[in-house]
Amino acid sequence: MRMLGRTAQNLFWLSRYVERAENMARLLEVGYRMSLTSRREGGASEHLISMLQAAEMDEAFAERHEVADVDTVAYFMMFDPANPSSVYSCLQAARTNARSVRTAITTDMWESMNGAWLEFSQIKPRDVRGAKLLGLLQWVRQRSHEFRGALLGTILRDDGFAFLQAGNFVERADNTARILDMKYYVLLPRSSLVGGEIDIQQWTLILRAASAHRSYGHVYHDRYKAHNIADFLILRTEMPRSLIYCAHFVRDNLNLLAKLYGRREACHDAMDDLLKLVEGTNMDQIFTHGLHEFLNDFIDGNNRVTDTLSASYNFY
Amino acid sequence: MGENTPFDEMYNADGSVREPYRALSEWLGEQPEKGLALMQADAEAIFRKLGITFAVYGSEEGTEKVIPFDVIPRIIAANEWRKLSRGIEQRVKALNAFLYDIYHRQEILKAGRIPEKLILNNAAFCPQMMGLEPARGVYAHIIGVDIVRVGPDEFYVLEDNLRTPSGVSYMLEDREAMMMLAPDLFQRSKVAPVETYPENLRRTLESVAPAGAGRNPVIAVLTPGIYNSAYFEHSFLADQMGAQLCEGQDLFVDGGKVYMRTTTGPERVDVIYRRIDDDYLDPLTFKPDSMLGVPGIFDAYRAGNVTLVNAPGTGIADDKAVYTYVPEIIEFYLGEKALLNNVPTYNCTDVDQRAWVLENIAELVVKEVHGSGGYGMMVGPTSTKAQHEEFKKKIIARPDNYIVQPTLALSTCPTHINNDVAPRHVDLRPYVLVGDEVRITPGGLTRVALKKGSLVVNSSQGGGTKDTWVLED
Amino acid sequence: MESWSVEGPGIGNAGRFTDGFGNAAHLVNQLRPEGEINIHVRGEVTTRDSHGVLGRPSGEPVPALYRRLTEAAKAPEALYEPFRNAKENRLSICHALMARVGEELGLPEEPKAPQQMQANGGQAQVQEVAEAGEPRPPAADYAHLFIGAARALDIPARYVVGYRLVDGEDGLHAWAEALDEGLGWVGFDPHAQICPTESYVRLAIGLDAETAPTLRTVPLAEVVQVAKVSAV
Repeated sequence: MRMLGRTAQNLFWLSRYVERAENMARLLEVGYRMSLTSRREGGASEHLISMLQAAEMDEAFAERHEVADVDTVAYFMMFDPANPSSVYSCLQAARTNARSVRTAITTDMWESMNGAWLEFSQIKPRDVRGAKLLGLLQWVRQRSHEFRGALLGTILRDDGFAFLQAGNFVERADNTARILDMKYYVLLPRSSLVGGEIDIQQWTLILRAASAHRSYGHVYHDRYKAHNIADFLILRTEMPRSLIYCAHFVRDNLNLLAKLYGRREACHDAMDDLLKLVEGTNMDQIFTHGLHEFLNDFIDGNNRVTDTLSASYNFY
Repeated sequence: MGENTPFDEMYNADGSVREPYRALSEWLGEQPEKGLALMQADAEAIFRKLGITFAVYGSEEGTEKVIPFDVIPRIIAANEWRKLSRGIEQRVKALNAFLYDIYHRQEILKAGRIPEKLILNNAAFCPQMMGLEPARGVYAHIIGVDIVRVGPDEFYVLEDNLRTPSGVSYMLEDREAMMMLAPDLFQRSKVAPVETYPENLRRTLESVAPAGAGRNPVIAVLTPGIYNSAYFEHSFLADQMGAQLCEGQDLFVDGGKVYMRTTTGPERVDVIYRRIDDDYLDPLTFKPDSMLGVPGIFDAYRAGNVTLVNAPGTGIADDKAVYTYVPEIIEFYLGEKALLNNVPTYNCTDVDQRAWVLENIAELVVKEVHGSGGYGMMVGPTSTKAQHEEFKKKIIARPDNYIVQPTLALSTCPTHINNDVAPRHVDLRPYVLVGDEVRITPGGLTRVALKKGSLVVNSSQGGGTKDTWVLED
Repeated sequence: MESWSVEGPGIGNAGRFTDGFGNAAHLVNQLRPEGEINIHVRGEVTTRDSHGVLGRPSGEPVPALYRRLTEAAKAPEALYEPFRNAKENRLSICHALMARVGEELGLPEEPKAPQQMQANGGQAQVQEVAEAGEPRPPAADYAHLFIGAARALDIPARYVVGYRLVDGEDGLHAWAEALDEGLGWVGFDPHAQICPTESYVRLAIGLDAETAPTLRTVPLAEVVQVAKVSAV
């Protein structure tokens, strides 16, 4: 049976929202940790704000709150239904998408999604403080992993699978690129004062936000260095949140669609363009070209993949 | 009717067990203490897991309830079922003949057997259907007849439900759950299968595909969407039939034909099992502001390029005011006496009948003509004096808006209540499919009023369901 | 009818069907409309004066259908009650009703000023002609009042939309038809206070203006909908 364009769209966004919920939780965790360790007056607030910037939520936040402290930021990122990217909104949107395509996903996937939403929607924001906040952030990540596990373990490898996977990794690539862009200046090569204390803290932030602070050591056997961190999150194919890894993953799934449907579409060309950015290059070239410019090019290219995918497969 | 003790389907008046319930009686006797309670808990877990829920209108989004399921099945003997199903078949044939006539030459009105105004000025009559030739002459393909039993051989039809009857997914899931919970009871009884329903539904839909459709007509289930209270059923049936589950936005009309928007472009649709009410089906012909429907779909239907199931305008045949004439309708079109009884219905616009109704309201059931789901209804014997007075006033104010019937002593079935077994009132909704042939699934949905003495079985009013067994010879 | 053509974008691929009232209809879908959609209908017809008598054309639904009461076509009791027990035949009653409707809503002016008739075609809003000193309600109101009164008297009556030629100019118009047991359908134009002549061309019939539009449209997306029907 041929798949409705709306079904494909719902599957793509279902995965995107699950991934986004996870990333929001990850970002908030980083912001929270940094605000705890900040020694300077007003430093906590600065960290939280730069974290909001990374999520492109700083303006929306400022409209609602005057002070950026742990409570207001945590509420805004976790529970605020008016914030379309809050964990609450993401899980709700994911669950609504799942319900619309109930027959196109497996029972295990549905139960995982439905359970996550039902549990989360019962939580009262005022009960979530301090250690409880960290616990809940971990819970969000675990539910995201559970959903992905149900997906990998139970669904047919057909077009539905491809749309789900593409959505997941388009979102992940976007997130990694934004985290890098937020702190790109601390990654830039400098002539002096390399490896100051502030930088190490910033680097840790970046790595943590990508769940990469421990695996870094396994790959580089070295202390934190800006060059390595950028390399790790952009060009290392073994790093499952790196831009190149995500791009390859999306490409593989678009290729699966081309194979199943017997033709290539505009999204495949957009994908090739995106790959050209990350393949056959190295960090020195990227730094020469400009890291910020590179990341923006990547984010734009990644958005083009979504746009052309939507058009190619009749999302609406 | 009118007996003091209602007919119990399991026990005779002298306490002996009726034949069809013998195996069940033995089995109940063997269950350990708390056995049924454990089973009940398992059943609830199964239903939640399967996601069989219904949304409760007016409650917060995301609160979906599970309809209570009773673990003691309701049992109908083979000979009882034969009788019932003959009566049902007769009814659905006559009602389809009636619909054809009403939307063509209107012979039954010319013959004066039904008052012309009752049909023509009825809101449920759909003038846009005039002269249309539906495939195989069938208008109502999917029917759920509401039946109550008051004695060993006495069945009454309460309503015919010819629009978009719901609940068939419960019939199927109740059976599924029952087989998981009590396989040993199944082994002792020869129970007719209900699992054939999705396949029969598919065949029925295929059999009414328009002439131009290919060998394998494309079928779509059209749902109002995920916020509809019966969304689970829509997705369940689409899944079971292997049909596409569509919302209005997934379909479009071009060149008078209906297409789905798929990932690889438009795909022609031949038959649409629509679970959207007539009014919302097509903004071009019906309510112009409907966002749920598909513009032009009705015109495509008139052009003969798609089949809508059920046809629009079938509501005229299950209108509560027309209901009174069903025995007349059966005689007119089939030349036969009705096999199933209608409940006697009093007409409040008649002065003498109204006076009698107002006097005896405490014994009667009052129903709003266009009400459903147990809303806008009063059961005299279980209502308060104040409620009687309230409905008296309503009847006097708008006599044409109400029909009044005697209170039927609905039969009772043993039901698991608080770790005990007690009799509770039940009704029955068998599901009928009409296409190239009439297919009646043996069994149906038994609804049970869980409150002691209550006669209202609707799930919105505290009713539950039971698996319904038709025994084979 | 000598010739009839409907031209417009997508018309070659139109769905063709007959509606519940026996009207021939086209269904066109504009997936990507460009600004404005123009549909041109051209036709050549030969007419003759039959004193409004149409008879019983085939392919039409049972006349009893047109006893159905609708929201749009209603008449006050005072208008038809005097005819309730009238001894005259139906034809005379209808003529008398036509006169009563004229008195109720206003009679045509005696000096035959060239006028453009208006018809209300459901969602299809007809051209607004604001001629000075013409306070008469649109023809559709006359037709609805007549139909409502006839049906209240159990006489099947239906709404007709079409063209009327006055002084060499034609315009969209609306009138009514009532059923006489002997003659069949007979036209009555309470707006002009005559039975249709050879200057009338019928386009579509229905229970009322809502069910007999010349054009029905529904926007598929958010667009400003301005549908205009005019006779040229």
